[in-house]
Amino acid sequence: MGFWDKIAAIDRRWIYLLCAIAVVIPFIVPVSLPVYTTPETQQVYDTIEALPDSSVVMLTYDYYPSTLAETEPMSRAALHHLFSKDIKVVTISNIPLGGPTIAERVTRDMAARYDKEYGVDYVNLGYKANYVAVMKGMGTAITNIFPTDNSGTRLSELPLMQDVKNYEDIDFIFIVADNATADYWVAIVNSQYGVPMCCGATAVMAPKMYAMVGSGQLQGLLGGMKGAAEYEQLVGHPDRALRGMDAQSLIHLLIIALVILGNVGYFLGGRQRREMGQL
Amino acid sequence: MRRTAPVVTAFVAGVLVTISFFFNEQKTLIGSVQTEILNWVTIIFGFALTLGVVSITRVNFNKIKRRQEGWFYSLLVLVSVFIMAIPSILSSSWSPLFGRAEGSIYDWIWVRFSEPMMATMFAMLAFYIASAAYRAFRARSAEATLLLVTALLVMLWRIPMGEWLLKQMHTSLPDWINVYVMNGFNLAVQRGIIIGAALGAASMSLRIILGIERTYMGKG
Repeated sequence: MGFWDKIAAIDRRWIYLLCAIAVVIPFIVPVSLPVYTTPETQQVYDTIEALPDSSVVMLTYDYYPSTLAETEPMSRAALHHLFSKDIKVVTISNIPLGGPTIAERVTRDMAARYDKEYGVDYVNLGYKANYVAVMKGMGTAITNIFPTDNSGTRLSELPLMQDVKNYEDIDFIFIVADNATADYWVAIVNSQYGVPMCCGATAVMAPKMYAMVGSGQLQGLLGGMKGAAEYEQLVGHPDRALRGMDAQSLIHLLIIALVILGNVGYFLGGRQRREMGQL
Repeated sequence: MRRTAPVVTAFVAGVLVTISFFFNEQKTLIGSVQTEILNWVTIIFGFALTLGVVSITRVNFNKIKRRQEGWFYSLLVLVSVFIMAIPSILSSSWSPLFGRAEGSIYDWIWVRFSEPMMATMFAMLAFYIASAAYRAFRARSAEATLLLVTALLVMLWRIPMGEWLLKQMHTSLPDWINVYVMNGFNLAVQRGIIIGAALGAASMSLRIILGIERTYMGKG
């Protein structure tokens, strides 16, 4: 077995170890390189900036805890932006596994920082099964789908919801999602009710969402942790996403190096075998 | 009857919702049918979740009773399901430990167990991806080479260190990747996929409405 064959057959546990080191080191020794803002993130920021004070924005928590590293910083940065502009926020989740709990925890935490009052400045609608029916049903009346909020309080008892009956009373939707619900928000709520919206999506989903930004159905896009980091930088609250960029940088560079090494080994190993008459 | 009733239900619901889509739901009766049926779906979905809990309980309980292989994991499943579900269903007016608010049993288990465990499972993907990329991502053909080079450029573009490196090569290189790769080739291909998937979904829906496709009943 030649040198390059040995490299190609390296025990995968060495690769795992390198990955672990690449993730841990940046948290001990941060590099904090500046993050370049993509036009799609700038669009999100500019659109929210252009909303008048006291507008009503629906913020969705359509993500599972597995993608919290990418999505929660988007929600937090969005709330920084919205609450700092005195915009009213209605939160909702189409994900049963954690969505409403995450919405409750993150929104209440952020609201406390801006002295926002529940029921007046923000409301958490919670979760209802079958997101297609939920999205469609809220076009007629939100109370048809959510007679109560996430804590069981009737919407009629919440001052904010006196003026928010259906999509006509919602000025903008900020989707944060890690799954296909984002497509349905666009297909049902944007296309059929004309509500403008933007999307914060995981890096895996982001390429697909470019098509919707290009068509004007989405007013902007936050793609993965990088998008979240750009948005944190724009709203002036550097937080978890910007901290995570160092680890993401190193792990990307490691994977790139491994791919290059694997290909060098593949070609040189082949040549070595041919020279040894094994091919 | 067991085969006919679901087909007739699918046909009637499908045709009504399709026709209803073209009418104003607030001004016409036929337009409001769609919303009404979708409300029913939400309620039925809630019952389906309950049915899921009953099913998971029955399957795992039988496994424990018969001491089948892995019965201990079934026990863990049942304990987890009920320890999360029961306190969260009970009213928080009885005790702050009930319900789903901060400080409740549900919230405590969720924040300390469920969230970290799910995040850990997902994070492990990074290790597998790194190992798989090393072994499988080879420039075996012109197409594979093109894919590989594009992937490496996009990976560099998505990180601050990579952006810095790309800018050293050419100051506009990150912008070109955004304009030509993401908003050019990627956008065109994604639109093709979305349109293709939509046509596929439309044709599948038509097959279900007309009763040609019956696999949803568990039969071909």
